[in-house]
Amino acid sequence: MENKEIEILLVEDSIHDAELTIHALKKNNVASHVIHLKDGAAALDFLFGRGKYKERNLDNKPKVILLDLKMPKVNGLEVLEKITTNELTQKIPVVVLTSSKEHPDVEKAYKLGANSYIVKPVDFENFRKAVNDLGIYWLHLNQSL
Amino acid sequence: MIKQLKNTPDNALQESIKEVALQNVERGKREAELVIANKELFFQNKEKQKRAAELVIANGELAFQKREKGKRAAELIIANRELAFQNKEKEKRADELIIANKELAFQNREKEKRASELIIANKELIFQNKEKEKRAAELIIANRELAFQNKEKEKRANELVVANKELLFQNKEKEKRAAELIIANKELAFQNREKEKRASELVVANKELLFQNKEKEKRAAELFIANKELAFQNEEKEKRASELIVANKELESFSYSVSHDLRAPLRAVNGFAILLEEGYSKLFDEEGRRLLHIVQENANKMGVLIDDLLAFSRLGKKEIKKSRVDMTELAENVLNEFKASLQLKAEVNIHTLHAVTADTTLMNQVWVNLLSNAIKYSSNARKPVIAISSEQQNGELIYSIADNGVGFSMRYAHKLFGVFQRLHDAEDFEGTGVGLALVHRIITRHGGKIWAKAKIGKGATFYFSLPEKTIN
Repeated sequence: MENKEIEILLVEDSIHDAELTIHALKKNNVASHVIHLKDGAAALDFLFGRGKYKERNLDNKPKVILLDLKMPKVNGLEVLEKITTNELTQKIPVVVLTSSKEHPDVEKAYKLGANSYIVKPVDFENFRKAVNDLGIYWLHLNQSL
Repeated sequence: MIKQLKNTPDNALQESIKEVALQNVERGKREAELVIANKELFFQNKEKQKRAAELVIANGELAFQKREKGKRAAELIIANRELAFQNKEKEKRADELIIANKELAFQNREKEKRASELIIANKELIFQNKEKEKRAAELIIANRELAFQNKEKEKRANELVVANKELLFQNKEKEKRAAELIIANKELAFQNREKEKRASELVVANKELLFQNKEKEKRAAELFIANKELAFQNEEKEKRASELIVANKELESFSYSVSHDLRAPLRAVNGFAILLEEGYSKLFDEEGRRLLHIVQENANKMGVLIDDLLAFSRLGKKEIKKSRVDMTELAENVLNEFKASLQLKAEVNIHTLHAVTADTTLMNQVWVNLLSNAIKYSSNARKPVIAISSEQQNGELIYSIADNGVGFSMRYAHKLFGVFQRLHDAEDFEGTGVGLALVHRIITRHGGKIWAKAKIGKGATFYFSLPEKTIN
């Protein structure tokens, strides 16, 4: 298992969205080490060292989690609830990814303890800028608690 | 007497004793009477001597009378003759008297007859008298009564005099009134005629109404059936309406998730096209790069379209929060945002606008859409001018935004506010055809109206009205 410091955990079911996100993060060297998981169940296993990630060093926590809300199996809100209610993970900042700021899930996410959200726009340039700003803030400006 | 003595010797004795005593008394009485008679005869003798003396005197008287008688006889002869004549006169007179007597006797009889008649008449009169007395008594009573009545009548007469005066006055009044009534009567007569005319008209009208009534009854029966039909249809419609509400909600959530799901592949198309351009542009020739740009542009356009659609569908669900909105300030803010983001060629004049009670966010959206339209469609003018103003009219506030741009044909004005309706080519003017539909929906939900006036090449003016007083 990797022991390299994890900068960002990206939980996103769309591989294309994930690739574009990672691309945006890596551009300008905002983040170089990103772990991408395709669904909520995998994210929970990873965070709590279960199943496939049984052997993982749980001390190696991501600096920020980018969490898509709409996912198969275990959706983003369920994952978020587990993260914010478990001592092990509740201090990790969570940024929610959503298609629209009007989505009712955004409000629920805030209530469950999300720290921020990003609207995924069609316009890639805008998306890239948003992800870039977010990465700089959470990875470089925000001192971890 | 003897018998009595024999039968009653005591009684008879007693009686004879009594008889002897009585005879003794009588004899005494007779002796007294004879003494008296003797004295009487003595007295008479003296008287006779006196009488003889007187007779000597009387004889001398007689001798004188004898002479006187001779004288007297001669006078009697004369008187006899006179008497004989008188006798004859008296006989004549007697005859006349007989006749007269007869006459008198007749008259007597007549008188007797008359007398008996008179007796009857008398009786009658007596009866009548009595009656009259009775009547008189009654009349006295009646008289009194009449006297009383008379007084009463006098009183009454006085009263009547007063009443008469009153009546006289009333009479005059009545005459006046009568004169008035005559006039009124004429008037009534005229009105009567009019009413008769009217009555005959009403009879005709009545018949007409009767006919109409029947028609209406027929119609009512038809309506009753139609009503039942409508009630049935109403129920169907209510059922249908509730079905539609359910379907609408389903459709809303469907369109919402569809637009979301559409955005993901679109992001991929756009994003990877950019990555392609950035990393591999050297591998493309100029035509290849042009085609790549078309892909990007269309992906972006589709993104905007989906965003607009989402905004439009959101508006149907969104609750309107009304507050006092300074429309002047709002329009100026929108204008300033435009000025900040693009090179604004147009001269925009915002007059002082009426404040209104509305949803600020939605009003902002209205100005954004209308102003961007005005800017867009006047961009080709040599000197674009846009004017924004408002006025108060019949309890409504009417806002207008006028430009001097390309305008449009009023023939298509009805299509202006429909979703995806466009009056211009996308090549000339960008747009998704949702903007005005959105504005229309916002204004309608505020209880207002939107309309436009335009001429091709002469600009367009958009108007929208909002109620002055809010109905919440």
